[in-house]
Parts: sequence; structure tokens; C-alpha cells
Amino acid sequence: MDIISIQSVCKNYKETKALDCVSLEIKSGELFGLLGVNGAGKTTLIKILCGLTKKSSGKIVIGGFDIDREIEQIKTIVDVSPQETSIANNLTVKENLEFFANIYGNENQNEMSEIVKIFGLESVLQQRAKTLSGGFKRRLSIAIALISKPKILFLDEPTLGLDVFARRELWGIIEKLKGKMTIVLTSHYMEEIEQLCDRVAILSHGKVLNVGTIDEMKKVANAETFEDAFIKIVESAK
Amino acid sequence: MSRTINFLKRNFKEVFRDPIIYIFCLGFPILMFLLFYVINNFSNSQTPTFETRSLLPGIITFSYSFVMLTMSLIVSKDKQTFFLKRLYSSPMKAHEYILGYAFVGLIVGFLQTIVCIFVSFLISVVDGVAFLTFGEILLLILSQIPIMITNIFLGLLFGSLFNDKSAPGITSVFISLSGILGGCWMPLETMGGFETICRCLPFYPSVYIGRVVTNATNAFGDVYVFNGVAWFGLLPIVIFMFVSILLSTVFFKKIMTSDK
Repeated sequence: MDIISIQSVCKNYKETKALDCVSLEIKSGELFGLLGVNGAGKTTLIKILCGLTKKSSGKIVIGGFDIDREIEQIKTIVDVSPQETSIANNLTVKENLEFFANIYGNENQNEMSEIVKIFGLESVLQQRAKTLSGGFKRRLSIAIALISKPKILFLDEPTLGLDVFARRELWGIIEKLKGKMTIVLTSHYMEEIEQLCDRVAILSHGKVLNVGTIDEMKKVANAETFEDAFIKIVESAK
Repeated sequence: MSRTINFLKRNFKEVFRDPIIYIFCLGFPILMFLLFYVINNFSNSQTPTFETRSLLPGIITFSYSFVMLTMSLIVSKDKQTFFLKRLYSSPMKAHEYILGYAFVGLIVGFLQTIVCIFVSFLISVVDGVAFLTFGEILLLILSQIPIMITNIFLGLLFGSLFNDKSAPGITSVFISLSGILGGCWMPLETMGGFETICRCLPFYPSVYIGRVVTNATNAFGDVYVFNGVAWFGLLPIVIFMFVSILLSTVFFKKIMTSDK
């Protein structure tokens, strides 16, 4: 069953077409990847799906709600961990989690403890967010996104700027979330998409070039590796 | 209301865990009192504007411009770190954000007022002069609420419009203007046409009305009374207050759905 339906969505910024007639269907429970180089339109699409910015045209239905008329209902079932981490810097980790828990009306201490455990935040609970390392900031950012118990979780470049160890740890955490909710993940790291995603959409210059599993894409592009498949697909569209 | 209070608590912690508030909002007014006390006592020229009863309303009004700075900093920083954008994807409503920021501004403003009153009380004890009665203190606090609110919402407006690098620069212009155009330590009544212009802005009327409450004396040796100047002054005070609330609300809502 499709939980997100995107039909012919365009987004224009003055003279730039950030999204050009994008159509996608994302199934409930899957971990869906949006792969593309910088400026492909991945973050723009995520922002539109979260209600942070408006599309120029097209239709989007999320969880049965039309984004043009029922955005407030959509906001109760989605959450996002933005590219910029976006946490309250002068609050401690615990205070950050409690703050967002209150916004979403979820102040169940057991659930919060579970999230703290999943993300390994026990040792830094009383630490101010601005003193955390990049890896822990990302963990906190994603943990905050889970506090609302979303049906759909958007992860925008979740491992951007992290070292290889922090990245692998975060992949492990994201894999634990698989199946519990629908996750839409944007990345320009090939190995991240290969490791985590059930299906992928390749974006370039605001257009969807191909949608499918990793194996399907390798077959379509007649390539041995996913990286080769990605390059062939993007170059053939130029 | 629960989300507003939750956001207020977060803003309270953010503001009061930042050393800037202690330096500018609380330390600076104290420094100004001491500075003018020293100037007045050791320069051998008794300037009515530097007397405690005259200085107190001036410094209170001036100190609220630092509340504007604080508000602009917290909003622009939240914008810059995309913290606000993250919140926009939550069920929080525009009025919950605005009230959550504004109430913290009120707390800072009232704390400043209390600090100013306490410091001027200490100076009056050292000088051996009578201080304000409790009624006069309450009336003074009430009379300065509109300019406090104006500064709070101007801070929200500048924080919405500018980033955290340029917001302090813009607010510093207003800080200087409020001091000069408010007659906080300059005897505007001796400046003819310039005083008339200052009556059309909210700073001078707020200070003027404050000096009426404290029975201060102007540069000509006359006690401030609730005359035509004060009555006319109510107009810019009220207009600026409502305009600042309206503009900050409009622009705050605009940035919520802005592409920037």
C-alpha cells in the first residue's frame, strides 16, 4: 500500500526549476532512498513533504491526507531529521528530548528511555547539546524525530560530515528502525543507499531518472556495481 | 497553552544560559547608573537629568533596547540553525511561537526594571535622599510596559528579518537611537525643534511619563507634570506598540512558509 503518493510535482525558485514533474509512490513500511548529487532536488522534495515549503504545482497525498488541504494532519504523522541537525544548543540532551516530546504530546518516560537506549545517548544525557560531537548531534537529531512516533520519518543526509565509525554506528541504528515505520532517506553516498534502502529513486536536476531496487537498477544500466549503474543512468539523461 | 509554556521554558533556558543577557541586559544598566552617579557627584555640576529620579525612567527605557537585542538574537539564531524550520514541521502554531518568545522578553524586561529600581534605591541611600514610594514604583513599572512590549516585538521582527550576524548590528542602531532620542541622559527640553521630533517617537514620551511618576526635575528646574507633552506622547507609545506587534506577527508567519 502506498503511504506517499507524489504526482507531477514541480518546484520553481525564481528562474531555477528545483523539481521538474516528479512522480513517486512510496510503500508503507519501506526504507526508500532518494539518491542524487548536490542540487538534484532531494532536500527540496523532503521539505515539501514535511510542509516546510510549498510546491509550485502537482499533487501529494501522505497517509491519505492531501498536502494542500490537510497539512496539519500530515504534520502529526511525519517527522524529519534535517540536514542541519537543528537542536536546541543550550539545552541538555535530556531537555531537548523532553521539549520535543511535549510538543507532540508524548511524555511517556518508558518510550523516551527506549529511544535513549537505541541511540546510545545515556552517557551524554546531561550534556549541553552544543558540546556534543557531530556524531552524537546527529543521533540526538534523529532521536528527536522519533519522539513523536511518526508513521513516516524523513532523514535528510543523516551521515553528512560524519567519520566512518560514526556513520557505521548510525547505519546500525537506522537498520533497527526498518519495518517499524516508513523511512525516506536522502543521501549522495552510494554505499549508504546500498546498505540501507529497499528501493531507490535517482534524482538529477530535479527529475526522477529511475526508481527501483538496487538490483533492478544494475540490470537496467547493465552495470556490475551500483555506483556504475548510478553514473550510467545520470549520464544517459544528460 | 501547554506548547506555549513548553516553548517559553526552552527559550528561558536558552536566554539565561547565555552570558550576553547578564552583560548587556543586567550589567549594562548598573554600569550606566554608576557612571552617571560618578559624573554627577565628582564633576561639581549638578545636572537634573543625572539625578536619580530623572535617570531612573531614562535608564529603564534605554535598557529595554537590550531586550530587543536579546529577542533578535534568539530568533535569528534559531532561524540560522534551522531549529525553527524543524519546529515548523511540528504541530506548533504561529501564536505559540510568538508568545513563547515574547513571554521570555517580558521576564527579562521585568528583571531589568527591578535591577534598575534596586540600584537607584541603593544610590539614593548612599546620597541620603528620599526614594520613591511603593505606589510610585508600581506606577513607574506600569508606565514603562508599553515601551517594553514595543522593544520585545521589534526584537522578534528584526530576528525574523535578519540573520544572527546582521541582527545585532541593526538593533545596535536602535539601541543608540533610543538613548539619544529618548532623552535618557540628554536634556531634550533645551533642544527646541529636536525635542518636538522626539515627541513623535515612543522613547521620549515613555521617559517623560516615567519622570512625571518619579517627580523628576527637568533642565529648567521645573517638575515634570502630566501636561500636553505627556498626553500627546501617549499616541506614539500606543501606535508603535501595536505596529510592532502587528509587523512582527506578519513577518514571523511569513518566514514560516518562506523558501529561505
